[in-house]
Amino acid sequence: MNLVRWRTPGFDPGQELERIQDEINRLFDLDYGDRSTGLFDRATSPAIDVVEQNDHFNVYCDLPGVDQKDVDVSIAGNVLTIKGEKKMSSRGEKAKVFRKEEWAGSFQRTLSLPASVDPDKIQAEMTDGVLRVQLPKREEVKPRQITVNVS
Amino acid sequence: MATGATHKELETRRVQRPVGNIWEEDGKVMLRLEMPGVTRDHIDLRIENDQLLVRGRREMHDEDQNYVIRERVRGDFAQTYTLDDTIDRERIEARMERGILIVTLHLKDAVKPRRIEVKAR
Repeated sequence: MNLVRWRTPGFDPGQELERIQDEINRLFDLDYGDRSTGLFDRATSPAIDVVEQNDHFNVYCDLPGVDQKDVDVSIAGNVLTIKGEKKMSSRGEKAKVFRKEEWAGSFQRTLSLPASVDPDKIQAEMTDGVLRVQLPKREEVKPRQITVNVS
Repeated sequence: MATGATHKELETRRVQRPVGNIWEEDGKVMLRLEMPGVTRDHIDLRIENDQLLVRGRREMHDEDQNYVIRERVRGDFAQTYTLDDTIDRERIEARMERGILIVTLHLKDAVKPRRIEVKAR
């Protein structure tokens, strides 16, 4: 068996330059507009928060400007799917655009739910551009207070 | 408009830049900023010297939460724009709708395009 000496990748000026560029862009917030490329990145798969509480889970998703009827929350088995379409805001035909950072298109996000969620009691609402899906836990898994009688 | 927060409190809070569109139409400059989770009462819009300061306070109540997934970007929304002489400082309107702040800045009448009749003799 041949033993080949492992060599460290060494210094690659091209790569280093790219890294520095990335860091500077991040510093000045310049890489903002590139987030909408690719199929499964953040822009098409919106960022969510999942918060566990005693008797339910809350899923939060930022969907600014998205109409309630353009959001579809569905559940199949234990997989929750949030999908919809973010439409481009309208402006007059003669408008002179100086800056357009807004993103539009369809988005989708799927989540595997823990077995403790009761799929029949899920509720969803939109407030101030934030979607909240409330997932109640099954009765049998909710924490219960058990009183111990001391005799 | 009051935000209910002291100046000091605002300075120590984390901020992020909102996604924004700026365009001009019909003698107005429009500003559309995405601020999900910000209610109308938590918008602070002011003009200081030649600067338009926009701030949207958003409460996440992070301390007492048990996160399973935590991906949303934290922080208030803040952005500062410099206004030039063409903007009428007295006519600025704003409205909030589904987490979107729309600011309408009217141009001064003097800078609006005007059509001058050419008289024939």
